[in-house]
Amino acid sequence: MSLAARDQRLAWGMLTPSLAVVAAFAFYPILSSVWLSLHRVVLGLPGLGRGWVGLDNYRLLLGDPAFGEALRNTLVFVALSTSLEVLLGLVMALLLNRAFRGRGLVRAALLVPWALPTVVASQMWRFLFNDRYGLVNYLLYGGALGHYQAWLAEPGWALAALVLADVWKTSAFAALLILAGLQAIPDQLYEAARVDGAGPWRRFTLITWPLLRPALLLALLFRTMDALRVFDLVFVMTQGGPGGTTDVLMFHGYQKMFAEGFLGQGAAVSVVVFLCALGLGLVYLRVLGRGALGEGRA
Amino acid sequence: MNLTGCRPPSSIWPRLAGLGPAVALLALTLALVGWGVVGAGAMAADDGDPGLVRFVGFKPNQPEVWEEIYRLFAREHPGLRVEPVVGPHSSTALHDLLTQKLKNRSPEVDAFLMDVIWPPEFASAGWARPLDDLFTADDRRDLLPGPLLANTWRGRLYGAPLYLDAGLLYYRRDLLARHGLAPPSTWDELVAQAQTIAAAEAAQGRLMAGYSGQFKQYEGLVCDVLEFVYGAGGWVLDESGRCGLGQPASLAALEFLRRRLIGPVAPRGVLTYQEPESLALFVQGQAVFLRSWPYAWSIINDPDRSRVAGRAGLCPLPALAGGRSVAVLGGWQVGVSAFSRRPRAALAWVRFLASPRVQKILALRAGWAPVRRSLYADPDLARQRPYLGQMLPVFASARPRPQSPLYPALSHVMQRFFHRALAEPDSDLAALATRACRQVQAHAALAQEAGQ
Repeated sequence: MSLAARDQRLAWGMLTPSLAVVAAFAFYPILSSVWLSLHRVVLGLPGLGRGWVGLDNYRLLLGDPAFGEALRNTLVFVALSTSLEVLLGLVMALLLNRAFRGRGLVRAALLVPWALPTVVASQMWRFLFNDRYGLVNYLLYGGALGHYQAWLAEPGWALAALVLADVWKTSAFAALLILAGLQAIPDQLYEAARVDGAGPWRRFTLITWPLLRPALLLALLFRTMDALRVFDLVFVMTQGGPGGTTDVLMFHGYQKMFAEGFLGQGAAVSVVVFLCALGLGLVYLRVLGRGALGEGRA
Repeated sequence: MNLTGCRPPSSIWPRLAGLGPAVALLALTLALVGWGVVGAGAMAADDGDPGLVRFVGFKPNQPEVWEEIYRLFAREHPGLRVEPVVGPHSSTALHDLLTQKLKNRSPEVDAFLMDVIWPPEFASAGWARPLDDLFTADDRRDLLPGPLLANTWRGRLYGAPLYLDAGLLYYRRDLLARHGLAPPSTWDELVAQAQTIAAAEAAQGRLMAGYSGQFKQYEGLVCDVLEFVYGAGGWVLDESGRCGLGQPASLAALEFLRRRLIGPVAPRGVLTYQEPESLALFVQGQAVFLRSWPYAWSIINDPDRSRVAGRAGLCPLPALAGGRSVAVLGGWQVGVSAFSRRPRAALAWVRFLASPRVQKILALRAGWAPVRRSLYADPDLARQRPYLGQMLPVFASARPRPQSPLYPALSHVMQRFFHRALAEPDSDLAALATRACRQVQAHAALAQEAGQ
């Protein structure tokens, strides 16, 4: 056996345990969700059995306007929150990348919202948006109680409130990822550019932006995946209200599975979320990842 | 075949030794998982005490009353012991937790509290044990019709009713008296009175809401709105499987709610209120009327928790023009898990809880409305909780929500429909109702297919 073949074998041998762990804890649950989503299982009606129904569960979802709304709300939430978070994160990272007194403290402080458990943060935002004693109303209208708005009762505003809460909570995380990317850019490049007479804008477009792309991609990927699976904010702040205008996929799937007992349909919802995440991830890699990951090969 | 590559087997082992950390990690993981499984098994197999009853319920408002009941039970049943397992206070959250355990046939649950809407589901799914033997014919005659019916599924009893809830109208007696008004018997009267009083208060610089209730997108919304729908002569699903949400009566009820009540009289904020928020508005003296359950009376009259103690009144809900006053039935029951390994102990516990004596304790000390008619004639009750007896006609005629093993799904359909209708007053009500009815009927068809 050649050396290469032996190395190959050793590599497989070493990979096996981690592959086994990934198979047991990642692939198995995904496959079993897919399998479950092809069956009709209703907890409250054992008389129905656990029959194979092919793609019926998916057809039912497509015909269910509530699912359509949840899908639309989720995509709107993902688009708004992710773009705002990455944009804000970029601005924050650029500011933090400069040397100033107390920078370490500011960096740590920025992470406080991120470190807060989402349920706690959601409860806080629910109070802030309260119609009788919410701080948001106080800031907008002062003591003029008669003008106070019930933000979480208004379709449109409720979703905006969720986006705001998410942006507040996770922009710092995006900033941290982007900051790491910024710090990996060698200073000599900027010095050379300055010697060549490049202004701040040219330095940004020619050096920072191209070299920052891998970090941005990472931040976008992380935030998108997370935003697609948004659940706790909705669970605590609105329960899908008003009138289902903040219902999102994960909450819809949770209700189908845990409250209504439609296990097959609930599994179908989670498969849809999985496919959305996979699809969006691939699009990012295609569009942004060219040259960003594995230089020249992607 | 590669003969030159033949290696003595021993040569791979030094290399495999490099896997040490990975193998160790895997072993550790498996050990931890195994420990967890065995641990759970050990807990479940804790059958050493055949007199132990694990009782899953929500965190009680008056823990001391329950302590007393546990003590009484232990004293009178030597060898039996109740271990309370405290679940979430919200009915929906408790339902999700409990059904998870029952779905997995967990032996860690012996007895549990059930909301009035669960028995068909728990019975149909095979989670709850039939309890027909617990009640004699006399007992059944004594039970109020609503709770008895709610616990019956296909002719058998699956829950022992513990107490009953029904929607009631609370009002500010002092403010009504100041304006020379009697408690309203129609919703039109309520609207007029609320607007008169709110305007007078506003002239004094006090912001006052006319009406407060539970209209968030959750189970309570279904109760509050169905009181209007039922009262107008509408319905959800009748015996022949017809959906009534799109009937003119149902639509008129919703139109009244969204045009004349929410917005003009009740603040739009009620669309985000559950019981505690709606009650808070009233006890802070910021609402003229409140729709709530019987438990609210004690809190409203507790000077430590209320600014309107002694200044409130209580009456049946008003009726819509040409309609009737209808209260929706709520309340809690006790069930026994079909997977309990100690059914005898669990049954003894449930029999004890359902007894008139415990009902009386709960009524006197916690203010819970009894499900037994005989208790309403009890002199202690009449003295200490007179309002319960006064509201007996409301309790005895309270209407249930639809009975179905798919109730949680039906509820979600109604919640989305009702909340959309109220939150968007200009939405097309008939179209929303058609959509909701299509889903209600699809669920009914599914239940029929399953032979339920």
